[in-house]
Amino acid sequence: MSKVGNWQLGREMEFPYEGARPARQIAYVFDTNKCIACQTCSIACKTTWTSGKGQEHVFYNNVESKPYGFFPHGWDVHLLEKLGTGRWSGGTYEGKTVFEAAAPNERVLGYAPDEADYASPNLGEDVIAGTIERGAFFQGIHRAWMFYLARICNHCTYPACLAACPRKAIYKRPEDGIVLIDQSRCRGYRECLKACPYKKVFYNAITRVSEKCIGCYPLIERGEQPQCVQTCIGKIRLQGFLSPPGSERADNPLDYLVRIRKVALPLYPQFGTEPNVYYVPPLHVPRDFLAQAFGPGVEEAAAAYRSAPTDRELLGALLLFGNTPRILHRFRAEAEEAIGYDAEDREVVRVPYTEPFFAREFFDRKNDVYRHNVT
Amino acid sequence: MSNSNSLIGNAKGHYETVFNTLPRVEMLVVNDWWWTASCEYADVVFPVDSWAEFKHLDVTASVTNPFLSVFPRTPLERIHDTRSDIETSAGVAAALSELTGDERFARMWHFVGEGRVDVYLQRILNASSMARGIDVLAAEERAKNGVPTILLSRTYPKSVGWEQAYESRPWYTRTGRLELYRDEPEFRAAGECLPVHREPVDATFHEPNVIVAKPHPAIRPKGPADYGVDAGVLDGETRQARNVVRPWAEVEATKHPLTTRDPAYRYVFHTPKYRHGAHTTPVDTDIVAVWFGPFGDLMRRDRRTPFVTESYIEVHPDDARELGCQDGDYVWVDADPEDRPFHGWQQRPEDYHIARLLCRLRFYPGTPRGVTRMWHNMYGATPGSVRGQETDSRGLARNPETGYQALFRTGSHQSCTRGYLRPTQMTDSLVRKNLHTQVLGAGFEVDVHGPTGAPRESLVKITRAEPGGIGGKGAWRPVELGLTPGNESPALKQFIAGSFVQVAKGGS
Ligand code: SF4
Ligand code: SF4
Repeated sequence: MSKVGNWQLGREMEFPYEGARPARQIAYVFDTNKCIACQTCSIACKTTWTSGKGQEHVFYNNVESKPYGFFPHGWDVHLLEKLGTGRWSGGTYEGKTVFEAAAPNERVLGYAPDEADYASPNLGEDVIAGTIERGAFFQGIHRAWMFYLARICNHCTYPACLAACPRKAIYKRPEDGIVLIDQSRCRGYRECLKACPYKKVFYNAITRVSEKCIGCYPLIERGEQPQCVQTCIGKIRLQGFLSPPGSERADNPLDYLVRIRKVALPLYPQFGTEPNVYYVPPLHVPRDFLAQAFGPGVEEAAAAYRSAPTDRELLGALLLFGNTPRILHRFRAEAEEAIGYDAEDREVVRVPYTEPFFAREFFDRKNDVYRHNVT
Repeated sequence: MSNSNSLIGNAKGHYETVFNTLPRVEMLVVNDWWWTASCEYADVVFPVDSWAEFKHLDVTASVTNPFLSVFPRTPLERIHDTRSDIETSAGVAAALSELTGDERFARMWHFVGEGRVDVYLQRILNASSMARGIDVLAAEERAKNGVPTILLSRTYPKSVGWEQAYESRPWYTRTGRLELYRDEPEFRAAGECLPVHREPVDATFHEPNVIVAKPHPAIRPKGPADYGVDAGVLDGETRQARNVVRPWAEVEATKHPLTTRDPAYRYVFHTPKYRHGAHTTPVDTDIVAVWFGPFGDLMRRDRRTPFVTESYIEVHPDDARELGCQDGDYVWVDADPEDRPFHGWQQRPEDYHIARLLCRLRFYPGTPRGVTRMWHNMYGATPGSVRGQETDSRGLARNPETGYQALFRTGSHQSCTRGYLRPTQMTDSLVRKNLHTQVLGAGFEVDVHGPTGAPRESLVKITRAEPGGIGGKGAWRPVELGLTPGNESPALKQFIAGSFVQVAKGGS
């Protein structure tokens, strides 16, 4: 075991390997407030990567309704229960991570899901916490709540899957932090499956090896965002790169949203893997549930998010979501528009803050036609 | 017509259509790119290109979309022996010309044969106030490069009523003003001169279709007596045109006639559209269907499941328990036996077996007690799919001859619906805008004034059929795991309360 720095926990923690941060870390921001659970991302991913035999139960990307949705069944409830109640003091996590809570003969605290846990990937869809009484919808505020949590592999800085693999078949690319399984080294022991707290490694019974989200690296290498990001109907997703802690840049949209404005938070940071999908928390969900899921920064994140309409910089960064297939390395908020730039610092997208209004002439002389808003 | 599941497969009162209407239809021909329930009942099905396979240029537009949707011709080979739907029409027309010697049939579709349907499209665009000025071939070029073509509405964003609000142009009414009082005789007779509330025609706990209002000089309809009908007659046919006014205090004390006859009829059953498939979206590809609700399972561990997923009725957990049901059980859902699932089912047990709705029940706390929901457009059972399920060793509800895949064991959400008409949507006198021009007309006009649909809801009775566990043994697995609403394990309760972490304020 070595000591590594985990900024999400505000402290050092135990990890079986030396800490080695990549030059830049693939990272995503998902705005939960905009997700409509259409599952377009799940289907886009499935048709691209996992439509073969042995992959029937595999969804590298899934969207689950919280609190009653899980894929696989009950995954986070089980792990939270095993881990016991954790405590945050200020920004520091005082409980145990999955590495620190591991049994003496194990590297990671985890569990192996039952095969049947992968049935009903949309278990709990739209189910609310609370019940609706007759007439409740006419009384203003809804006390019942639920939200949609889109999930992929977190390409963790300290991957539990990697830590658990006895064959060192799992590696983290130094150039972008994408976590991959070397299919020729893997022998299908499924230690990674047991260890991944997010249950984002899957076992393929036909190939007899494990597989996981590859971060669409062929797209990343071309400067394009992954399939699940590009196809997102709700424009809730932005993929980019985080700079190593200490060298954040305010004009890098990922650094800005995650490290500087702290509007997006990691999912279950207490697990200790330093996951790299960051969520803008849902504004209407009770604080205790949010703190359990996203850590102690939820109120600060919600306050920042609420200020976006009057904060040009933040609004600009949020408006770049879903508006270009290119990976953005820099952005700038101008008076009327936000502008995004690719790796070569070429402008690739420009988004106005407010939808432009345009009125045509009533009579279009050139085309000899009257223009109406009703055909 | 392409992708026509909603044409027959999703007709309200679907099984009435199938078992009582279609036998009297001489011939049914369907163009489709997906084997929908409509194809199941067709004499001839033309396999046509899907949107991704168009060999002829096509465009479409819709009221809610600011862009012209352009479908460029694909350079890809066709996967199957299909034609464009416009070619099937042209082919039928050519055959008619041959049969009759009248060249005009074939000439109607002349440019199809020449591969120049852009000529027709350009004519349509030229005749539209929002599209005149758009060159259809240029739009196709742009579409190929991912560049959209914006419609030429008066304003962008298009805001209906903008000219009336900002430029004082007349509304599309007789007076040119917004008219909130209708004095046409049909509206006066119906008691609908003013916007009034009528109870739903079936999906209410109270007297159906009654106008809820206190006495009012402008609400004086022709009642049952005026038409020589007994005021107590409340059957489905009569009550569509029954004009009775009662204040809420009185309505509240009434009961739906069905409930009076059998108190088990006490659930409102809604069938709204779903995010995973609207009326024109095929939902029988496995990786899409598996997301269709909580009963998806690509491995089909429970062989009763008609496909890799299935339809379900959502019921408040307290109601479900009263019915003796656990989450995931199978139930029968029945609407008014007088006319559903089809008239005369009592004498036709074999057809009734296909048409009666059997589905999973799901605990759902998000609607009030008494109100249930089943999503629209899961493919319904057909004679072939039921035969498939009963003979296939895997239990798939798939027609062995056609491959049609149902998402129900028997029946469908349309087992419980039927068509009802509204007289005030069917007048000859209402002045309204014509469909595609700025000209006013009166009476029936497609999509403007006419019956545009039927209620998608009814009043039903729910009866437990089978336990939800695999093969009918025990409860559905997520119930055993304590993961569903009303069945929460202690850990899930703690999870929902958010008490697996504590946050201390301030520094450590
Ligand atoms: S989410 Fe799981 S699979 Fe992905 S890197 Fe982290 S531990 Fe590994
Ligand atoms: S595509 Fe986007 S909006 Fe749709 S479910 Fe996925 S994340 Fe949510």
